[in-house]
Amino acid sequence: MSHLHVLLTGGTGFVGTAILKALDEYHPEYRVSVLDFISESRWARPNTAFDIQYYQADITNRHQVSEAIHACKPTIVIHTAGMVTKNNSRYRDPNPEIVFRINVEGTRNVLDAAKSSGATSFVYTSSVTIVTDDQDHDYPNVNETVPTGFALCTYGQSKLAAEKVVLAANSPEFATCALRPSTLMGPGDTNLVPTIQRCIAEFETPFIIGSGLNLYDFTYVGNVADAHVLAAENLTRPHADDRTAAGEAIFITNGQPVPFRSFCLAVWAEWGHAPPFEIHVPKRVAWTAGYLAEWWTWIRGTEATLCRGSVKDYCQTAYADISKSRRILGYEPRVGLPEGIKISCADLKRRMEENKLS
Amino acid sequence: MPKLSTIIYYLFHIPELRAIIQWKIWHDAPHERDPDKESESLRQCFYYLDKTSRSFAAVIKELNPELLSPICLFYLILRGLDTIEDDMTIALSEKEPLLRDFDSILEKDGWSYDGNHAKEKDRELLVNFHVVITEFKNIKPTYRSIIKDITKKMGNGMADYANNAEHNINGVNTVKEYELYCHYVAGLVGEGLTRLFVESKLANPALLERAPLQESMGQFLQQTNIIRDIREDWDDKRRFWPKEIWSKHVANFEDLFKPEHQVAALNCSSEMILLALERADECLLYLAGLREQSVFNFAAIPQAMAIATLELCFRNPDMFKRNIKITKGQACQLMMESTQNLQILYGAFRAHVRKIHTRNDPKDPNFLKISVACGKIEQFIENVFPSQVPQAKVGALGGKTITAEDAAKAKADAAEARWDSIYMLSAVCLTLFLVTVFMVGTAWLSGARFDIVFNDLWNGKFFPKSSTTVSAKQEL
Repeated sequence: MSHLHVLLTGGTGFVGTAILKALDEYHPEYRVSVLDFISESRWARPNTAFDIQYYQADITNRHQVSEAIHACKPTIVIHTAGMVTKNNSRYRDPNPEIVFRINVEGTRNVLDAAKSSGATSFVYTSSVTIVTDDQDHDYPNVNETVPTGFALCTYGQSKLAAEKVVLAANSPEFATCALRPSTLMGPGDTNLVPTIQRCIAEFETPFIIGSGLNLYDFTYVGNVADAHVLAAENLTRPHADDRTAAGEAIFITNGQPVPFRSFCLAVWAEWGHAPPFEIHVPKRVAWTAGYLAEWWTWIRGTEATLCRGSVKDYCQTAYADISKSRRILGYEPRVGLPEGIKISCADLKRRMEENKLS
Repeated sequence: MPKLSTIIYYLFHIPELRAIIQWKIWHDAPHERDPDKESESLRQCFYYLDKTSRSFAAVIKELNPELLSPICLFYLILRGLDTIEDDMTIALSEKEPLLRDFDSILEKDGWSYDGNHAKEKDRELLVNFHVVITEFKNIKPTYRSIIKDITKKMGNGMADYANNAEHNINGVNTVKEYELYCHYVAGLVGEGLTRLFVESKLANPALLERAPLQESMGQFLQQTNIIRDIREDWDDKRRFWPKEIWSKHVANFEDLFKPEHQVAALNCSSEMILLALERADECLLYLAGLREQSVFNFAAIPQAMAIATLELCFRNPDMFKRNIKITKGQACQLMMESTQNLQILYGAFRAHVRKIHTRNDPKDPNFLKISVACGKIEQFIENVFPSQVPQAKVGALGGKTITAEDAAKAKADAAEARWDSIYMLSAVCLTLFLVTVFMVGTAWLSGARFDIVFNDLWNGKFFPKSSTTVSAKQEL
């Protein structure tokens, strides 16, 4: 029997790298190819059992992607490539059309090429933000039946548009599903833990905005990688009826919601920092301060951690019920939150050390 | 007459005082026992129930008539067993057969026991135990066999512990041993009560299949008691906190009580609390299976007291200095919250869990695990009673997916809005400027000497002194 051939887009990225490791652990017999837009020489190839074929292509270039995927001829495509908006641009994106072009058009290009090249399955890395980017409302314990389309940030909007394209393409011959991970941490994270860590130097740690009790989902990237492997297994089962994940959107989290504030405190504790005192700031006051800070940073042309959007993110209750992923994929988060934070912080410390040296 | 300190306390804790008054006025017992219809020996049993139980007597007496005397007797039988086990003056050779055969003693007419030390507080119950045995014969055979079965298991478990010399010297070693101990003294009670509830058709029979839920009900209460009683037990030369846990924080058990090890002791207690908290969601699930109000109250009140006690103990150094308890006002508040419905009870749990959250200390090695355990309880509650997720709200997007064109339009709108803001801000600045010019101009026309002001400022005199004023006047 011929083994599965997996094409991983965004294979050099944060989630992609974790998926490569998980594939290596569970299915060293697979054939694996990677598609990404950086040149192969710039890729620090992780240590795996695979003889990885690398395809350099820009997913927004329909022709280029099509050519690469037709040359690769994978059985299944795991599509993680996309653009994540960071810091202030998450809330007020200067170029939303770029985000849409990469996340929506790029996904359409990869999807069409996969289908026409003869792939049978397609796993798409969506995001919990398609629901929770509606930061004016709380989303406690949401499941997949919650209505979408209320996202206020470009990122969540673009991921939803792409998810709809992917799930609409599902058919008995071409099984697709969308995994919706929550906020991620882990080795190679350049967004969450580094941003929280910077608060120490900026003396922002004593401020508790709102109640400080709002529960939030944080997910270890390795668990999300496991979920991708499980989805790939599910969508490539011999009988179409057994592909229970086909056409489904599924939340993937650590299943351990904690207050946003607790997560921050745990990260700071890894640097031996505990806020010397605590100041409770009502949400409205913080929101106003964020508004002023936005003006100030706009005048100075810099970036700050404080803005209206980050205040809302910090105060939002948003966590998912992951019983569907447990039921359909047999998913169980292997790395718990305390362990995940330890690994992520150790990785960030190492990188900070390296930066200092170089 | 209450003590002066109590009066002062409630003067400063009016909501608690209100809870006490409300409980006294408004609480309606779902069922009330009728002593006139009871036999003399049953009345005696209730007398001993009042004498031996601090917290359970009231809830037991409000139970559904079907279960009233079986559960009262069940309580007294276990209390009798416990009184034998607790008494260190009884020789092991005498104690062990008593514990192991206690279930057959229940069949011996007129049996009583006066071997307890005179100071043993529940001695009198065993001296007159024949009243319990007389009444035990009057309850339904199915209830009788359940109670006998649990008594046998518990008696054997206690005998094993009494026999274990190591345990008597060093206390509990591993977490597994600790949980086994709690199983014998409390987990089994959970099992027995569940069987009684289901047998009387007052609870969902599915509970019988869920042994871990029954177990957690007992474990949660017992572990809470063991945590709270750390000081009292230590003064009595007993220790139940497992070595596996305390040895992570202090070298010797007695260090827990020394001020210089206070931080370590608190971290140790929070690890103990974590172990108990991890059971809470199972207790909440169990309570959802109780159908009848009096049975619900009976099971829910102790659980609510337990979560409040855990919260009281959490990072509270006083627990190592003296025996701490929730106040009467808090207890009344909790009783009100646990005698209505599941949702109100869950709300009380959530409130205490959130208080634990706010006192959680990031320097504690188990900080995040405690947060996770608290989050799990909250998520469980949200699962059973979902708060409204905004579904029918009218968003700016009206629920439709955004396309790149929409995004470009949104960007143009945002740019326009930004320029609107700039115009507004400029207009405000211009107005302020004109007002300033007008006021300064008017002052100058009226003869204000700005040159003196500037001179003084130049010379570093930022605050007007009397001399400056004088000189200014002179020059004028």
